[in-house]
Amino acid sequence: METEEVKGTFKPELIPEECGGDIDDYEEALHVLMKFVGSMSSALEQVSGRGANAIVYQAGKRMGHEAGKLVEKTDDLEKALQELSEILGMEFYFEMWKPSGQDEYITENNGETVVKLLFMDCVVRQTLRRTGLPQKGPLCYLLYGYMVGAVEEVMDIKGKLDIDHVGPNACLKTLTIKWSGK
Amino acid sequence: MVKIEIDEEACVGCGSCVEDCPNDVYEMDEEKGKTKVVKEEDCMACLSCHEICPAQAMEHHDIHVAKRLYIDRKVKSVLDKMI
Ligand code: SF4
Ligand code: SF4
Repeated sequence: METEEVKGTFKPELIPEECGGDIDDYEEALHVLMKFVGSMSSALEQVSGRGANAIVYQAGKRMGHEAGKLVEKTDDLEKALQELSEILGMEFYFEMWKPSGQDEYITENNGETVVKLLFMDCVVRQTLRRTGLPQKGPLCYLLYGYMVGAVEEVMDIKGKLDIDHVGPNACLKTLTIKWSGK
Repeated sequence: MVKIEIDEEACVGCGSCVEDCPNDVYEMDEEKGKTKVVKEEDCMACLSCHEICPAQAMEHHDIHVAKRLYIDRKVKSVLDKMI
């Protein structure tokens, strides 16, 4: 494919008037990034084995704590999840989920609060499919870390996220909150 | 609510969907040797069953279809012309 070189004048400016690129350029960049991130993840796994999950989890958690600082603190889990879904945006579109036989989305279990989250849209899943990598690998830990970090920041508690099931169209995760604090 | 349709002509009765579905939405109809939907209300539209079914025998209606940005639009348009 022919690549067109763009020539012009560059002036110092606070807000760029022209960022360049149309939707095809953005798509190409997205696919290059997906391939890059995918290969980085599998290389990390090759070098560090299962330790790769922990590294990526920590990175995600740090991002989650940063993002969580942008929203108001609350101890209402439903409100926290609503705010988190705004932070995560449409690229990580999730909803609370429960089996038909269960009355409430949020349940209490041995002093812990448990809620199941169904992630319908996920950039990580798309990246894995773009690069032919299986789900539940290190890259998925980025989102787990991110969610846990953000919940911890917003609610000032300790949380963990477990994967129940991964599918090509949606993934189910269980978020467990320990109220004993950090 | 999710609606699942099984094409009984296509289903080869391998039972993979019964085994794979995390929410026990399917059961084997031993008489017919085909799968049947028994707990549609518990389907969360993960579509693992679609991925595993060798006969592409099921259809899910009224579900959130996840974005598929990983599909290259140029490749897709070439395939659309070919198929
Ligand atoms: S989409 Fe998922 S939950 Fe629904 S029937 Fe298929 S495997 Fe089961
Ligand atoms: S996986 Fe497909 S072919 Fe096998 S039992 Fe289920 S519907 Fe039938």
